[in-house]
Amino acid sequence: MTDVLTIQRKNGTTRVPKAPARSRKRSARPAWEEPPTTVGQAAKGLTFAGVLAVVVVPLWIVVVTSLSTQGAINRAGGLVIWPDGLTFEAYSQMLADTTVRSALLVSFGITAVGTVVSMAVSVLCAYGLSRARSFGHRFLLTLLVVTMFVSGGLIPTFLVVTGLGGYGQWWALILPSAVSVFNILVLRSFYSGTSADLIEAARLDGAGDWRILWSIVLPTSRAVTAVIALFYGVGYWNSFFNVMLYMPTDSEKWPLQYVLLTYVSRGNGMPGSLNAGFGTIQAQTAPLALQMAVVVLTLVPLLLVYPFMQKHFRTGVLTGAIKG
Amino acid sequence: MAIEWNRRRFISAAATVVGAAAMAPALSACSGSPAPQTGANTEPGLRAALPAYLPNTAIRPEIPSVAGGPDVLTDAGFLTYPANPVATVAGVPGRGGSYTAVTPLWGTVPSAGNSFYQAMNKALGVDLAMKPADGNNYNTIIPTMTAAKRLPDWIQLPAWWNPNFNLGGLAGTQLADLTPYLAGDKIKKYPNLAAIPTAAWRTGIWGDKLYGIPGFATGLPLAGIVYYRRDILDAKGITADQVRSADDYLNLGKELTDAKRGVWAFDDVWTYLSPAWGVPFRWKVDNGKLVHKYEMPEFLEALDWHYRLATAGYVHPDALAGDNANASPRFYAGKTLIQGGGAGNGAWNVADHESGTAATPGYRRGAFNIIAADGKSNPQLFLTNSTSELSYLNSNLKPEQIEELLAVANYLAAPYGSAEYTMVNFGVEGVHHTRVNGVPTPTDDGKKNVQAQTYPFLASPPQVISNPGADVVTKDNAAWQAANAKAVYKPVFWNMNVALSQALATAEAAQAVEDTIKDCYHGKKKVSDVQAAIAGWKSGGGDRLKQWMTDNVLQKYGTGQ
Amino acid sequence: MSTAVPRRAAAPSRRNWRFRLRRDRSLLLMTLPAVVLLIVFNYVPLSGLVTAFQEYDPLVGVRYSEWVGLDQFSRLFTDPLFWGSLKNTLYLSFVQLILFFPIPIALALLLNTVLSERLRNFIQSVVYLPHFFSWVLAVTIFQQMLGGAGALNQFLRGHDLGTWDVMTDPGTFALLVTSQAIWKEAGWGIIVFLAALAAINTEQYEAAAVDGAGRFRRMWHITLPGLRGVIMLMLVLRLGNALTVGFEQFLIQRDAVGHDAADVLDTFSFYYGIATGNYSYGAAAGLFKSVISLLLIWGANRLAHAFGEDGLYRK
Repeated sequence: MTDVLTIQRKNGTTRVPKAPARSRKRSARPAWEEPPTTVGQAAKGLTFAGVLAVVVVPLWIVVVTSLSTQGAINRAGGLVIWPDGLTFEAYSQMLADTTVRSALLVSFGITAVGTVVSMAVSVLCAYGLSRARSFGHRFLLTLLVVTMFVSGGLIPTFLVVTGLGGYGQWWALILPSAVSVFNILVLRSFYSGTSADLIEAARLDGAGDWRILWSIVLPTSRAVTAVIALFYGVGYWNSFFNVMLYMPTDSEKWPLQYVLLTYVSRGNGMPGSLNAGFGTIQAQTAPLALQMAVVVLTLVPLLLVYPFMQKHFRTGVLTGAIKG
Repeated sequence: MAIEWNRRRFISAAATVVGAAAMAPALSACSGSPAPQTGANTEPGLRAALPAYLPNTAIRPEIPSVAGGPDVLTDAGFLTYPANPVATVAGVPGRGGSYTAVTPLWGTVPSAGNSFYQAMNKALGVDLAMKPADGNNYNTIIPTMTAAKRLPDWIQLPAWWNPNFNLGGLAGTQLADLTPYLAGDKIKKYPNLAAIPTAAWRTGIWGDKLYGIPGFATGLPLAGIVYYRRDILDAKGITADQVRSADDYLNLGKELTDAKRGVWAFDDVWTYLSPAWGVPFRWKVDNGKLVHKYEMPEFLEALDWHYRLATAGYVHPDALAGDNANASPRFYAGKTLIQGGGAGNGAWNVADHESGTAATPGYRRGAFNIIAADGKSNPQLFLTNSTSELSYLNSNLKPEQIEELLAVANYLAAPYGSAEYTMVNFGVEGVHHTRVNGVPTPTDDGKKNVQAQTYPFLASPPQVISNPGADVVTKDNAAWQAANAKAVYKPVFWNMNVALSQALATAEAAQAVEDTIKDCYHGKKKVSDVQAAIAGWKSGGGDRLKQWMTDNVLQKYGTGQ
Repeated sequence: MSTAVPRRAAAPSRRNWRFRLRRDRSLLLMTLPAVVLLIVFNYVPLSGLVTAFQEYDPLVGVRYSEWVGLDQFSRLFTDPLFWGSLKNTLYLSFVQLILFFPIPIALALLLNTVLSERLRNFIQSVVYLPHFFSWVLAVTIFQQMLGGAGALNQFLRGHDLGTWDVMTDPGTFALLVTSQAIWKEAGWGIIVFLAALAAINTEQYEAAAVDGAGRFRRMWHITLPGLRGVIMLMLVLRLGNALTVGFEQFLIQRDAVGHDAADVLDTFSFYYGIATGNYSYGAAAGLFKSVISLLLIWGANRLAHAFGEDGLYRK
């Protein structure tokens, strides 16, 4: 039984070249799989082509618009489809801004710390609730689920956080939204599926719950852990609502998304009769190019992170390997 | 998203008579919470609280103001900038106090402690920490601040959000009473503040006491006017003078719309054109009786006309789909030729000129004159509040601190072209701006840090028309104002603050009716649907609102005209 | 294996809760941080719910606001706009359940059959991008393509084929918003199913193939059962969330089709509650929604158990 655990851990971190799963790489079809039919391949190809087209065309429009001159945008009367006059003006304007650069650091900090905190809390909680018939798990699950549907509202929450001294504090951006019950439920559902045999084997072996979580459950559910970490990370990266509540006037503490929002919102939201009525400096609404450049800038980090997450999708097949 | 919503919200809810939720008097009397606010002002109380008016004549505009009806005055126009700005304040106004100030900013926030802030602190003699907050979320930020009693020393609260902020409740509890410092001749200590017209100060008075310092005051505040692409219509031989009635507008719709080429005559114009039927902002008094606009046959006629305009296919489909965000690009691209927009500097300014000419070199914005829908009656358009930008001081400040900040406000309110104005709006010469052809032109540093929505939002001189580099805009705008000032009238309850209970404020906002109205002028609902919604509104609170306004405002305080 | 089972089996342990408490203390300890956070930041603010029984004024606070009993609710239940928005919400929720819910699952299954890892990774990382577009941008793009002056209609107009303004047609609004939601969120929605697919043992496929099971039988007997837990969880949560169909998407397109067609419960509370300063009215509508949602999720969970599934937790 000790052997099981060792194999387990080794397999979790190293690649086993002989494992059939690996042979899927580079489109090599496993020997047992029948060759695809032409019709099936064509249908699949068409579906994916369609799916890609409806995503790529808007992306193209966004990128082209972000690179267009104001003249090109005004000639198009909105988003630009065919490149007319191109410029990097929007990007250089943003990247030259010192506020954007410090905000980038803040964003990375909040995302990193927040994701670690959230993952720690959620993984523990999800495992704590995943063992069948454990003490109080139904009550605790109900306690969790209720918060998904019932909320006291904006102002009471604000008063609680400020009452705890959270106004202007970093933790106010993390702790109030650190727990996503949805994410815990997803994690829990995967953890519950982790083979009972393995766990019981380890238990007979003298492993406690902490050890089981660390040595068996986590290594066998790397894909879902990566997915939930992505959900949390993206959540922190994109969040700005708490910033607006708890540090609305401390611009040096604003994360990137909030600073970018101010680029997009320039001149907007002022009532029509007053819009742009205050002097002439930067009074006009934000150029569309700038707004689209913001969208592109938001997408870049995600494009960079996603491949790292993807590789965890092919490693969660070890339970069966042992059983078999 | 919130963006568009805010704009609509303003049009439907803000302006002449602002409602603010008051707590139930019975309960507050025994619970020890702050005394209920009546909000509205009595005539003698108002007279006692209002500051004296001493216009500043130091700097003469090239295009002087023209008087229209009572209290109507066009904005002065400037074609040049004084070469040697005169100083209006001797020495530094401050005595070294430390304060924080919060303003809404719809744009990129300057970095904290930047060179311009430092220069300003030196010029003002105070340590004033400017903390701009995102304008789009301002109506969410402020109620949380006031709920937690965390207002800064000095704050700007735009008047169109008075109901959201419950300004009637804040005045006297969290905001400082400035009456003892500014009423009557006391304001002479602050000559630049004294040069702000009396009408604008009225918007800062709640319950006979003065709280707000008005900025960007104008003698010709309008809900907006109807603009057109002058370059394109000129080429077709159409001039503004030819459009004298609603029928003329319909004919233009037919003539100018060419859907196949992607050109529609109109963008949204309801807010801007409906007053031509004699529809007031909200109330009018007929034979001594209060009448709501929903009860007027003229209102339904106006609505019917706009319904026909939409269903005839003369309005751009994106406008009918509620996409206001791209209204300007549509206009620049020539996809729409007639649009509504802010008056004064609102839409007609140098930035607009630059954007337009970037798309079409000959771009020129023109405005149609104020008309009467039938083409025979006297053209008329109501005034809106003399200012929408007011700043307030925190009630926790000590008297000498209030005096120090008022002296700072006096500096910020220095007239156009003065040395202080140059400093506040353009920064230090050589650092934040340089003179190009005599006009102060911002450097990169200036563009980033010197912003109109920081210091000027705390206090500023009356509005002027000035578009350095685009004199055609200044001349067109001033000419339109001069030609149309006579058609502008003071509506009932003008510049009056009224604190409404929550239920009455809900009735005043009439969300269900306003929604149906919008669907109607977008061609999706018939006028009869609006009538049904109005009937529901009347029984569901509208009649009570009218009765309350009659008893508590009209009978007690008059019409404010 | 069978000898290990009794340790967790019901019969002996249920007798003594002290024993179970001691046995599971580390499990309980693990849930503690999350529970504390939820109590502080979710349960304590629940006191705000009492504002639904008041005429709440944030300036004077809960303590000094006027108590009005059930007035807000009686107003709510006689408000035709409220019932209209409830009807819209339920209808949209139904349409989304039928048309939207299966798509991420189907896409994940389809993606799983792509053999080239590179191609699969590429498709995966492209389809999830629209999730990061704001609704404003998404709707603007739809307007530019399908709006009255959009690409489609200008083409139709140019060929005198008549026009069809999809964006402002209240009759097809449910289909429009569902297809927008699919476009924006389906790619993101597949991620969790991909994670579940990754947990399926590939050797099972091989064994099945050797036994002569074809492509579809393998999917039916191996893949789908592997996804069942997650699908059921998502389905139960979706049913519990039947009164939540989106907010911003409807806020933006409200003007386009009119408030009759576009108002859902969340926009209703916003426009007729918070936006007009009617905090209490909004709170009443919110409380109504919470209670119904809790009933729904309870019912959905019961239903899952009735079908022998796990739902939110094992029976």
